[in-house]
Amino acid sequence: MPEKFETIRFKSPEELKEEEIEAKIKERGPEGEILGGIIFEEEIDPETQEKKKYLYFGNPYKERPVIIKLETEANKEEIEAIKKEIIPMEESFEILEAMARTYKHRQPLLIEGPTAIGKTYLTEKFTEMLYGDGVKPLDFYCSGQTDVSELMAKWVPKVETEEDKRKWNEFLESAQAQIEISKIAQEVEQKEKLSQEQKLVLIHSRLQELAKSIGLSERTQWRFQYGAVPKAMGLTRNPNGTFSFDEQKGMGFILHIEEVGLAEPQVINALLKLRGKRGRLAEEIQLWEDGGKKVKSGPKCWVVFSTNPPEEYLARNEVDPALARGVVFKRMGELSGVSLRLASNYYFTYKLGEKPKEKPEGCILDIYNYPEIGREISKVVSVFHNDLNKELKKGEKGRQQRIPLTLDDMARVADALVDEQIRDKKTGQFDLTESLKNLINFYYLDRLADEELKETMIANLDELLTGDTGKIEFEGKVLTRKEIFDILVERASTIKTKEKLEAEKKREEERKLKQIKYDSQDKIDSLSKNPRIPESIKKFLASE
Amino acid sequence: MDKEKLEQFIRLLQKTCKQPSQTFDLGLIVKEPKSEVDSKDIFEKIKNKVDSERIIYDKLTTDEDIIEKIIELFEKNKWLFLEIKKDISSPLLNQLKHLANHNVLQLLDYQGKDLSEIKMPENCRIIIFAERDFIENKITYPHFYRLFGPTLSIK
Repeated sequence: MPEKFETIRFKSPEELKEEEIEAKIKERGPEGEILGGIIFEEEIDPETQEKKKYLYFGNPYKERPVIIKLETEANKEEIEAIKKEIIPMEESFEILEAMARTYKHRQPLLIEGPTAIGKTYLTEKFTEMLYGDGVKPLDFYCSGQTDVSELMAKWVPKVETEEDKRKWNEFLESAQAQIEISKIAQEVEQKEKLSQEQKLVLIHSRLQELAKSIGLSERTQWRFQYGAVPKAMGLTRNPNGTFSFDEQKGMGFILHIEEVGLAEPQVINALLKLRGKRGRLAEEIQLWEDGGKKVKSGPKCWVVFSTNPPEEYLARNEVDPALARGVVFKRMGELSGVSLRLASNYYFTYKLGEKPKEKPEGCILDIYNYPEIGREISKVVSVFHNDLNKELKKGEKGRQQRIPLTLDDMARVADALVDEQIRDKKTGQFDLTESLKNLINFYYLDRLADEELKETMIANLDELLTGDTGKIEFEGKVLTRKEIFDILVERASTIKTKEKLEAEKKREEERKLKQIKYDSQDKIDSLSKNPRIPESIKKFLASE
Repeated sequence: MDKEKLEQFIRLLQKTCKQPSQTFDLGLIVKEPKSEVDSKDIFEKIKNKVDSERIIYDKLTTDEDIIEKIIELFEKNKWLFLEIKKDISSPLLNQLKHLANHNVLQLLDYQGKDLSEIKMPENCRIIIFAERDFIENKITYPHFYRLFGPTLSIK
């Protein structure tokens, strides 16, 4: 019988590199925490032989993550610092993966997801990862009042007086303004045979007529101003951090158009100009405002749209179908319970920023140094946050707007808890339960317009902290959260007291030693001055 | 007006910067329908605590005026008490969103620069004051409340 042999396959250097990157992407810490997801590497470009900086993005929660490689201007230290500012929730990596993938292929991305999923924050972090710490995307926020000219381009009159300024602004705010400007646009677009210069002459004469009709001087001078879209196409970020614009040769930059679900049809129509061939961004756009001049889209131009789902707000529309077809549409669901708890844990164990070097004023116990306390607080806050959010999504009595909670609400409580601490008058220690209640009241409940809901939530919070239903097992006993908080604070304070006593003892010993040294020195000095002491001994003492 | 609440509002607005972005919040003061407290009185109380200026955003002011004023107050390290009396237009709303999210003003073609950012100094804050009915019925932006961290309701 011939023996069976396993086929031995040698892996190519590329395959080995892929495996190495995948292992780094999926790397976890000793407690199972995500360490990977975003990897920085310096590599030699095979074409130019230059050393270049790259980022690898992948979703570490996936068994076989898709890995996307992008060139970056940021350095390793910056990437490590930025990574620390991202809570490693599964949803965050899903969004980052979508961003990296569409950025690489110059495809516009639209993220539709509820409040708190991290759309704005991750766009900012993604930009920083590509350009360096502190670099923000060009942000544009849509609302029902957004004017197309803010996105594309406009002519601004050089008005001299406050009166003229007021007249022009009143006109712009009127419904008539949109109609009149649309008429000019239509006329210019229809005169296809005119050259750009001729179109500009036509635009100027129509603008002068408009100025006259609203009471401005016939000789008003006009200034041309690009909007956010052409700016993002032609901006270049210079090595010194400034930006320069060139409508033909600019490198392009990241444009984040937020709340696109609120945009009116004319704004959507303007945004449709961004659709290019094969699902990519347009290579160029033509602006009637500039006599039909074309603005080229630089290689680094990328557009990300974001919006909340229509069911979350009364005034929100579905994303326009034509726009939805022209972008990569990423629909995100609610933040999972696991992610909410993870975020809460990160906030209350103070993993995300730098911890205070010295105990700030108003801080009785430096809770940021006691993650075991933070973990218990985070359990309470995440439950409360989730319960209140469910109620708020139904809407409040006495308020038209629905205000779902964001992770910022949790972050605010965590930050204020550091130095907005109440002292327990009986024990003299930090009263965590009262302090937490006070801040939850301030940040979560004081803003509620619905008094009934507020009362219910106050009662729920009390029950969660001190009632039977909030009890959980802790070190073999079933205790209320307040009892657990008290135990942990007592322990931390005792440790603190022990540490303080030891430090005090050490300082006292050092003080005594110093005193002995000074006394000895005094003795030596007095002996040195004594005429009965032989010179040889004096020399010896001086040398010592 | 609850003096203690107002003090806590100012204190937390002053010192709390959120993880992980380390940004400060914008504050909102809402005057409830039955309240008889005047916005001037509230402003005076705030002014006694922090160096601040009051501006009214109404039909006589443009968004550009307010943005210029914000820049001016940033240079002076002052707080702004902005009383809203007309629906917020797009240019100002854009800047308030920038301030809420990143603590910066992001301006196109400002002072000859294609894109400039003006950072809110650590000692500056912006408080918006508006009446509840006005917010509910006149402000068209559906996420208005979400621009703010601490919200103080004046009853």
